Amino acid sequence: MNVVFAVKQYVSKMIEDSGPGMKVLLMDKETTSIVSMVYTQSEILQKEVYLFERIDSLNRETMKHLKAICFLRPTKENVEYLIQELRRPKYSIYYIYFSNVISKSDVKSLAEADEQEVVAEVQEFYGDYIAVNPHVFSLNLLGCCQGRSWDLAQLSRTAQGLTALLLSLKKCPMIRYQLSSDPAKRLAECVKQVITKEYELFDFRRTEVPPLLLILDRSDDAITPLLNQWTYQAMVHELLGINNNRIDLSRVPGISKDLREVVLSAENDEFYANNMYLNFAEIGSNIKNLMEDFQRRKPKEQQKLESIADMKAFVENYPQFKKMSGTVSKHVTVVGELSRLVGERNLLEVSEVEQELACQNDHSSAHQNVRRLLQNPRVTEFDATRLVMLYALHYERHSSNSLPGLMTDLRNRGVSEKHRKLVSAVVEYGGKRVRGSDLFSPKDAVAITKQFLKGLKGVENVYTQHQPFLHETLDQLIKGRLKDGQYPYLGPSTLRDRPQDIIVFIIGGATYEEALTVYNLNRTTPGVRIVLGGTTIHNTKSFLEEISASGFRGRGIESSQVPARSSSRR
Amino acid sequence: MASSYPPPFDDPVEVREGFLCPLCLKDLQSFYQLQAHYEEEHSSDDRDVKGQLRNLVQKARRAKEKLLKRDGDDRTDTGAQERYESFSYGGVDPYMWEPQELGAMRSHLSDFKKHRAARIDHYVVEVNKLIIRLEKLTSFDRTNTESTKIRAIEKSVVPWVNDQDVPFCPDCGNRFSIRNRRHHCRLCGSIMCKKCLELLSLPLASKLTSASKEILASHTSPNSSPNSIPSSRRGSISSVSSMSSVLDEKDDDRIRCCGHCKDTLLKREQQIDEREFTPDIVKLYEKLRLCMEKVDQKAPEYIKMAESLNAGETTYNLEHANDLRVEVQKVYELIDALSKKILTLGLNEEPQPHPKTLQLQRMIRYSATLFVQEKLLGLMSLPTKDQYEQLKEKRKQEIDRKLYMERQATLETQRRLEEKQKDLSSRSIAAPNGEASYPKRGTVKKSEGWLPTSSISRQQEIGDPLLQQIDNITSFIKQAKAANRLDEVRMLQENLRQLQDEYDQQQTLKAIELSKRQAEEEEMQREQLQVLREKEWEREQHKAMFQHSRTRSLDFREMKPHQHESGEENPNQIARALDLDTTQIKSSPSSKTPSPAAVQQQVTQENSLFPIKPTEASQYIKETDQNQTMFLNPFEEEADTGLLKEGPVTTFAEDTSQMVSLSTKALHSSKKEYNPFEDDEEDQQTNGATICAPNPFEENGSPSQKSVNDQNSGNPFELSSTNPFEVDDNEILGEDVIEEELLLQQIDNIKAYIFDAKHSGRMDEVEVLTENLKELKRTLAKQKEKCN
Repeated sequence: MNVVFAVKQYVSKMIEDSGPGMKVLLMDKETTSIVSMVYTQSEILQKEVYLFERIDSLNRETMKHLKAICFLRPTKENVEYLIQELRRPKYSIYYIYFSNVISKSDVKSLAEADEQEVVAEVQEFYGDYIAVNPHVFSLNLLGCCQGRSWDLAQLSRTAQGLTALLLSLKKCPMIRYQLSSDPAKRLAECVKQVITKEYELFDFRRTEVPPLLLILDRSDDAITPLLNQWTYQAMVHELLGINNNRIDLSRVPGISKDLREVVLSAENDEFYANNMYLNFAEIGSNIKNLMEDFQRRKPKEQQKLESIADMKAFVENYPQFKKMSGTVSKHVTVVGELSRLVGERNLLEVSEVEQELACQNDHSSAHQNVRRLLQNPRVTEFDATRLVMLYALHYERHSSNSLPGLMTDLRNRGVSEKHRKLVSAVVEYGGKRVRGSDLFSPKDAVAITKQFLKGLKGVENVYTQHQPFLHETLDQLIKGRLKDGQYPYLGPSTLRDRPQDIIVFIIGGATYEEALTVYNLNRTTPGVRIVLGGTTIHNTKSFLEEISASGFRGRGIESSQVPARSSSRR
Repeated sequence: MASSYPPPFDDPVEVREGFLCPLCLKDLQSFYQLQAHYEEEHSSDDRDVKGQLRNLVQKARRAKEKLLKRDGDDRTDTGAQERYESFSYGGVDPYMWEPQELGAMRSHLSDFKKHRAARIDHYVVEVNKLIIRLEKLTSFDRTNTESTKIRAIEKSVVPWVNDQDVPFCPDCGNRFSIRNRRHHCRLCGSIMCKKCLELLSLPLASKLTSASKEILASHTSPNSSPNSIPSSRRGSISSVSSMSSVLDEKDDDRIRCCGHCKDTLLKREQQIDEREFTPDIVKLYEKLRLCMEKVDQKAPEYIKMAESLNAGETTYNLEHANDLRVEVQKVYELIDALSKKILTLGLNEEPQPHPKTLQLQRMIRYSATLFVQEKLLGLMSLPTKDQYEQLKEKRKQEIDRKLYMERQATLETQRRLEEKQKDLSSRSIAAPNGEASYPKRGTVKKSEGWLPTSSISRQQEIGDPLLQQIDNITSFIKQAKAANRLDEVRMLQENLRQLQDEYDQQQTLKAIELSKRQAEEEEMQREQLQVLREKEWEREQHKAMFQHSRTRSLDFREMKPHQHESGEENPNQIARALDLDTTQIKSSPSSKTPSPAAVQQQVTQENSLFPIKPTEASQYIKETDQNQTMFLNPFEEEADTGLLKEGPVTTFAEDTSQMVSLSTKALHSSKKEYNPFEDDEEDQQTNGATICAPNPFEENGSPSQKSVNDQNSGNPFELSSTNPFEVDDNEILGEDVIEEELLLQQIDNIKAYIFDAKHSGRMDEVEVLTENLKELKRTLAKQKEKCN
């Protein structure tokens, strides 16, 4: 169930199969990112792969002394490029791997183009998704839906990605989906269709308990992507943005040239691997240790440099030393920038109110706090808007809802029309009307008392009180209590035992907070393995982009309020 | 295009290599220069760094322990790994999921081949047909044959298409006329106009048909064949001028053909060329790979040898190993040279090679550098001849001693029997044992510092059985001397020495025992202190229960029990001690030059100070067998026992191992002064100061800033109001007493829920609810207690 490993294994196999000799890896745009997530350059160089080329690149030179490994998505364009390539081969021999199912007719036209018999292998290797963490994958699709229904191209890509994931993990799952979401149902059907059509491929060794694929919709929990985060990975994504493990630091004031863009990959950065799920405080102290370690090494080295033997030892340690200095400056820069942004944007205060809005049901205090922050000049336009969004989502139908007042405050503050429109767009996207389950007020007695007791004891940490809704869903799923009414099975058969291998996919994008939740669930529940996927991995910014891309424009000013009963029971 | 790729695949243009100074990245030419540079340039600022560092280390340690309630085990140099592993929930980390098999895959190769075969058949047949015809066309002597005859032969090779059937040129569509005459392709017989006519030169034709090497050589370059087309114009112009008949024209060295046939043949030619031609880079690269393989083969062999030799074993020959070393090093040099050559291929040629070629060359060089860096640095050095002799000697002694121990053990029992008989003359066992030579002892008694009693207490306690035995043997020796049985004397002396050593050992153990007892006492005191602290904490916790700690930040320390700290201390220390052992094992074989020798020497010295009791000998030998590589480290045993205790004993274990590792250096430059306890004192100081400082960040704002500022301006630890983890300890919230009414109300509610749940038969819910109810009641009771 380790998705990073699954893709890595595929790539390793490709390279191994091509035998010794100089190689070039021929990829398209998407497979380039797929491979780069699991392999580093130096790692792949050791396997004699010296060049990385794009199939659509015109600037390629004929190099008959190279073997070509083609890893491509089976799209029409790629097949066309490949046909051109085979007609006039630039390399001596071709090993062709498609990342998904390819049609027989495409194989035929490729075969007919290969007059010089340069193709040595044609296979399907199902590494058709971006492996972010061992338990997290993404498809890097933004704006997968139009309104409440799928963009058809995106639907087929998503279905391809999901089935590739299933194939790479060798799982033939039962499928459950969120009833309230039409896209979830469509996707479930599409996946099922592929499984039925390619039944030979999905004929794996049966496990005692069949794996489960749960398809959810982002609109059911619009809160999570709107919150500020405090664990390392999530925080970096929220404040700086992670794109295929890369972080753009070019906007950081006074940044040195080689740190403009840094790579944070748990695969080859030990510090990151050990700290990505820790909160900011712990990282602060750990990075201090890292530095300490680094600096202690320096004087020690110096002290030892008294004989030739010591010198040799010094040079021996040198590669690690150099590697370490890279890690130190990278993480110090990143954490420093985070810290700067936290201060500059007053994020502590903002986050506290956000968490209150997300987790508590005290309207008047929440309203007061939001108003207070809206007056604070240090709070950015973006954060002000997101506070109002959270308020609007939570107290949408509260009897004393005063959203119009807050909207006026926003306008008075000079927040742009675009941002203000987004408030109503968010409500339109993830408001109460669309939600299949109740995000804020607990449903049953157990949950109510649980919440009550939590309030009694006080929260452990005010900035991380929020648990994504996904946590509860998965918790119930693991315990076998997830209601069939809300999350029906596709097809007649249902799962009688508690599920063990779970793949949960969120249409409209997952978040790193949810990745953390799944990570913790994996660690705390022995015997259960959960993999989380999404059409993309969101931070607030990309989430809002997704909403506008999906065609939720929002109205100018929130005027028509639904006068409604209180949503909180207490 | 490369720039649009993600960084893992970016060009490694920035990679630098050689003896770079790690501080300023200046490129220096050799070890020595780098060393000199380092001393000159960086000695001053490093001292600075060192001072800063000490500050930072202490503060950070304090901060860490406060913040995370963890015992900072960063005293040892075990590297970064252990250090940052910080949290574990139990359960399974996704990284630890069991290994999985390769994902599903599906091959289309057979399908592909099937379709291709059909196509290829067609293609091959076509090419072969053309080649055969070409052969026929070139098989006769063209220059000396009449044109009409040529035409007849040409016509016989392939049936020509009838002129009347083709009114227009099929390629360009021009109508044929008197001026625009028809031409036949000699290879397929089709018709085209003059413009579309292609000509095939004879050398090319013969190359295609024979594909022999001589012709290839005479044929200058594969590119020249298309160039032959423009030159053929001359012929056609002359043919136009002689209006007699174009058909009769003699194109001595060219064969007319259509574009299609020519294309096919050119492709074929290209294939032939490629088959024959290997570019320089490939040749060099093949050599490079060969060298790499050689290294992969030889290096492990060498490392095995070097390890064995450094341990003083005689399994391998030193000279042989030296040769191998030189050989491997030569291969490395070759790799370096080859990759450099690849890098510079074609750089001097006028049309610069394609950027992609250059990129390829750069990448090969880069990977070769990586390879050398990784492998070469793992190549340990060999001892010099003298050192090796020493090592051998050491090892021999060791083995001899071991053997001797074994014999001694049997001898001991025998002798006891004899002693009972008190019959001197009956002893005859001496002969075989007398040959075993006991190794020379180390003369330096390093450990005296912590063994104050060992030498003094000898004369006391005559009641000790060992002392009695010693006395006995001395008297035996006298008697034997008197009887002039010299070999027996020698053996007895040996025994005597053995016994004395044994006695020393006993005393040592006693001393250790004593220190352990002290440690235990200290530990007890500590525990009492801990209990007190825990009580205090409980009281605090009690209070905290009722605080609605809203403004409490991400710092969890209030919530984490103090006992955590102490609880973890023990295993941590054990782990640390174990670490020390393992690092020792690792360090001794891997360290270069004479260090293993030094360690061993040290060890033997120590050993000779505490010879092992004969009764324990066999066990000890077993142990030493396991720890061959460790050179019979006597400290391991002690460290193990010491682990169970805390405090001084553990530090003792650490000290001794430090000593062992440092003794390497001590031997090398024996005058150097060092104090293994210096660091330790510091550590203890910091440890002692941990418990009370409230805010870790408060104290070290500036030093940490200093330390970062060479890295970057943005300081994450800057103390400012923005720091989320700065805890206002002063700000104690007023106790937020929960209203009793609310509690009561809730209790009522839950009762109602329970009732409801029971009715509808949801038993598991009932259970949870009752539990909740209990908890609520408890809270209520506490509340009341407090109010009262």
